[in-house]
Amino acid sequence: MNEYTLLILLLLISLLWFYFGNKTALSLKNKQLKLNSLPHYYGIYVALYSIIPSLFSYLLILVFDGILFSNLIMEFVPKEILNSPDFNKTIVLAQIDNAVRGIYFGEQPDWVTIASNQMIEWNNQSLILNFFCSISLALGIGYLGFKNIHQEFRSRNSVEKIIISLLGLSSIIAILTTIGIVFSVIFESLRFFAIIPASEFLFGLTWNPQFEGAERAGSGQEGLASYGSVPLFVGTFLISLIALCVSVPIGLFSAVYLSEYANKKERSIFKPLLEILAGIPTVVYGFFAALTVAPLMRNGGSLIGLDVASESALAAGFVMGIMIIPFISSLSDDVINAVPQSLRDAGYGLGSTKNEVITNVIIPAALPGIIASIILAVSRAIGETMIVVMAAGLAANLSFNPLDAVTTVTAQIVTILVGDQEFESAKTLSAFALALTLIVITLILNFYALHVVKKYREQYE
Amino acid sequence: MNKNNSKMLTADEASKIVASSVIRRRKKDARLKTYGRIAIGLAVSFLIFLFVSIFSKGIPGFFQYYVTLDVYLDRDRLDPKGDLSPESLYNGDARSIVLESLYKVINPKGRKEKKAAKKIISSNADVRISKMVLDNSKILGKTISITFAVDDDIDSFLRGYIKRETPSSERRINDTVIKFVDKLSAENRISYKFSDYILTGSASRSPEIAGIKGAFIGSMLTLAVCFIIAFPLGVATAVYLEEFAPKNRITEIIEVNINNLAAVPSVVFGILGLAIFIGVFGMPRSIPLLGGMVLALMTLPTIIISSRAAIRAVPPSIKDAAYGIGASKLQTIFHHVLPLAMPGMLTGTIIGMAQALGETAPLLMIGMVAFIVDIPGGVTDPGTVLPVQIFMWADFAERMFIQKTSSAIIVLLVFLIFMNAAAVILRKKLERRW
Amino acid sequence: MVSNSNINNVKTKTIGEIFSKDPKIICRNVDVFYGEKQAIKDVSIDIASREIISFIGPSGCGKSTFLRCLNRMNDTIDTCKVKGSISLDKEDIYDEKIDVVTLRAKIGMVFQKPNPFPKSIYENVAYGPKIHGLSSSKEELDFIVENSLKDSGLWEEVKDRLQSPGTGLSGGQQQRLCIARAIAVSPEIILMDEPCSALDPIATAKIEELINQLGKNYSIVIVTHSMQQAARISQRTAYFHLGELIEVGETKKIFTMPEDKQTEAYISGRIG
Ligand SMILES: Nc1ncnc2c1ncn2[C@@H]1O[C@H](COP(=O)(O)OP(=O)(O)O)[C@@H](O)[C@H]1O
Ligand SMILES: [Mg+2]
Repeated sequence: MNEYTLLILLLLISLLWFYFGNKTALSLKNKQLKLNSLPHYYGIYVALYSIIPSLFSYLLILVFDGILFSNLIMEFVPKEILNSPDFNKTIVLAQIDNAVRGIYFGEQPDWVTIASNQMIEWNNQSLILNFFCSISLALGIGYLGFKNIHQEFRSRNSVEKIIISLLGLSSIIAILTTIGIVFSVIFESLRFFAIIPASEFLFGLTWNPQFEGAERAGSGQEGLASYGSVPLFVGTFLISLIALCVSVPIGLFSAVYLSEYANKKERSIFKPLLEILAGIPTVVYGFFAALTVAPLMRNGGSLIGLDVASESALAAGFVMGIMIIPFISSLSDDVINAVPQSLRDAGYGLGSTKNEVITNVIIPAALPGIIASIILAVSRAIGETMIVVMAAGLAANLSFNPLDAVTTVTAQIVTILVGDQEFESAKTLSAFALALTLIVITLILNFYALHVVKKYREQYE
Repeated sequence: MNKNNSKMLTADEASKIVASSVIRRRKKDARLKTYGRIAIGLAVSFLIFLFVSIFSKGIPGFFQYYVTLDVYLDRDRLDPKGDLSPESLYNGDARSIVLESLYKVINPKGRKEKKAAKKIISSNADVRISKMVLDNSKILGKTISITFAVDDDIDSFLRGYIKRETPSSERRINDTVIKFVDKLSAENRISYKFSDYILTGSASRSPEIAGIKGAFIGSMLTLAVCFIIAFPLGVATAVYLEEFAPKNRITEIIEVNINNLAAVPSVVFGILGLAIFIGVFGMPRSIPLLGGMVLALMTLPTIIISSRAAIRAVPPSIKDAAYGIGASKLQTIFHHVLPLAMPGMLTGTIIGMAQALGETAPLLMIGMVAFIVDIPGGVTDPGTVLPVQIFMWADFAERMFIQKTSSAIIVLLVFLIFMNAAAVILRKKLERRW
Repeated sequence: MVSNSNINNVKTKTIGEIFSKDPKIICRNVDVFYGEKQAIKDVSIDIASREIISFIGPSGCGKSTFLRCLNRMNDTIDTCKVKGSISLDKEDIYDEKIDVVTLRAKIGMVFQKPNPFPKSIYENVAYGPKIHGLSSSKEELDFIVENSLKDSGLWEEVKDRLQSPGTGLSGGQQQRLCIARAIAVSPEIILMDEPCSALDPIATAKIEELINQLGKNYSIVIVTHSMQQAARISQRTAYFHLGELIEVGETKKIFTMPEDKQTEAYISGRIG
């Protein structure tokens, strides 16, 4: 008996209701009564009536009992642990959770055994409660729906109403996701800014997050932690700039060539080839950057007497540039193709060369779209993580030198949040503050780009 | 007409001027064309370079060196309890049996040489013997020849990455080991063949026995969860927004929202998973279910946007025809619009799934980075995924991991190519329809 | 060079006089294909200096296609292939030696839908002279712009707002701007593909008057759907049907006593 059996049981009950609904409708029909809808709509109606509320209660209990219990269980944690400076709710809960699952690491303190026994009992009770609630809902409300069936009943309309509301509900998920993102980021950021002043975060020139544990443990690093995000933003800017230096010329010239010079065959070969570049996972680019490009650049640099760090902004930016070529070339190609043929005709009719039509007519007309494509590529570069983590390093140097190792906002977020974190600590919270700024920046860029594209579309409609 | 102008050129004068400028202008034109060609050439050569560099490392990664030994499978030593249970075999002495058969070939003298000899065979050799015995207990008590993977340093030596000429102190393997390896080669006991481990092995810290099976299954499970959640939700949202949503503030907000979600960097979804799913809902870390949910939210915008486009592309005449014979709106949509839009919606979904398959950062953040040896058996078992495995292996120092990482990348790329090919075929089908 | 001996010695099914005394453009046995599909079949015709000739015929009969052969605008369509010979001043325009740029500078074109560049009125007219290097100073360029706008009858309407966008003008004004843009390059011939079909009657009347004026200096080939228009402005008329040139002759003659049955049917409104 577990959650899965219950789920299957609920499905079976609703199937049963479908059968009854269908059968009743059929028997009405057999009595030569004219039904309002096809019989199976009556079945579906009853089945939906049964499954929707019961499934809702099922999920509700499943999700929220854990949250409730993890708060209640704190009663069982001894006072001295609760009040000790090292108290960490996550770790305590993990300890109990492991005991519940029967995973033991050495000797258990007594309270863990007691708490885990309590937890197991609660879990069982909650499962029984869930059984009781969900099944009675499935049977009870299903019966209410079943009683609705009579000759005049417009079951199809009711079923459609229910389905349309379900469709509408699913569109809420997108909103919920956004709300989830915003809340998770904003709350933690607020807590961060309660510890670290926003001015330090926004204008500080050193980024050196430290675990509070490390500081407290007297590792000689007291007071070293500093949360000035400027080096991260400079790093992000530097790498994005390098990426743009690679991708903008290549992307634009490719787009121009493909849309104006290439014949059909060249187009059908090279366009998909370029798009492959956007489909390669970033972790592959990261590996390529770290193992192939960075050593090449180091060796190339030392040949001409330059000292290139083994993890350099240049290598990461360069590979990122390759990755975003198709973002620029594809979208630019689209907007160039959207320039009306009549304008090209006007140019050629006057005796312009292709070059002249492109530079004097097409590019100016397509400029807003091209700019939008570059903005989207920038936002993509800013949000890119793996290449930076693998190839640019994690050293938060405040440097504009592309040959240095730098780090970016995204790379820091990931490194801080990978593995075990001390919740509550300024270091962990700083990742959320970084994420908040990242979201704000990319949203502004996205808004602006979409706005430009929309303006552009209107111009030619 | 302006007859009195002296400056307006006559047609003859004009065409002379034009003719004189043509050569220069043609050159400029040719230059732009060349720039375009160079740009495409560069982009394509980057692509080729990338593939060549990955494949040249990755193809050898599917192969590795083995040593063949004649092993006497001593019943008492292998199976001390005598019940052929895994525990009994685990407690048995397989390791020394393997070493002894090795010593028989290379005759190490003294403790130092024996220590060197131990370095030759992968530490996993005993597991191989236990497995063979578990599969077929009849072999106990016989002498049979078995191939074992060589240790990764020996492998690198045999591939020529560790050079004989390098002074012994700077090599990872010393002269004695090299002497033994030469001896084994001379007796034709060293072979180079398709790796037993790369496709069927699990994560391991020893590169010679590390494989991608666990990560691969983890990826499949994660992707399955992602699809099961994202596809119905995406299609339902698209149908609602395209066909039912009243044009009001709320739907406008939803639309703006979806566009913005599509632009949010993937790390942010990792944060969402961490803070909401793990933090608030108390889901366990590292499980494919959680990974799939996070990826589903990430791919949802892609699916919604492409599904809406597909629905919009269904000719209105088809809807009119259905309405004309008295179908309700929902019937029209489910019977006519959705089947016609399905290839387009699937195309978008496959592209979204392909993105999800390659996604690393958010999964790292929800703990799918854990060093997981076991192969996940379900969506609630801890697991890892291919890109994360690639990321972890890329970080390890052993030379052999470079090849294994590249091999894993090849597997990932092959999968992506399949998915994209499916998308292309679907799109072709869609185009043929109208 | 097209040799003189055979240009007036051509087999054709076309009724009427295809030759002219002072030919500017000579087309002989022209076939045009879009991929497999033949859009123009064996058309031969002369176009004289300073004449206005109109092409009429039902839609899809290949008028635009033929017109676009005359300045090689068809080069911009990949699938389009032209056979036969077309010469300008006895020089084959499809010869490899001929550069389309020079050719199109000599043969201007005005399109069905007014297509000003999304730039200022001034820039629209100045664009041609600029790319071809026809002016050596700002004053000269100003002069060309002013003159072209005057010739196209637009000057009085726009002289105070030369810097405002060309796309902001009315349809008729836009079309006259396109004509000004074409004549700013000092062409010898102007091709017009249904220049009035997107315009209202008043704007059409203005353009027709303008074409009549321009006919004194340029050869003009105009495709039109309106027979009244052809009758009002052109000296000669050519009737196309399904890619063939059926009948050519004095406009008056074509409209009063056509020799061919199809032509008559079209003129009297039975083919449309
Ligand atoms: N770009 C093209 N590709 C293929 N066929 C075309 C193209 N342009 C025109 N055609 C075909 O050539 C024929 C002549 O077209 P067109 O010259 O535009 O006729 P008109 O201008 O007399 O109405 C038509 O049948 C048309 O379908
Ligand atoms: Mg036409």
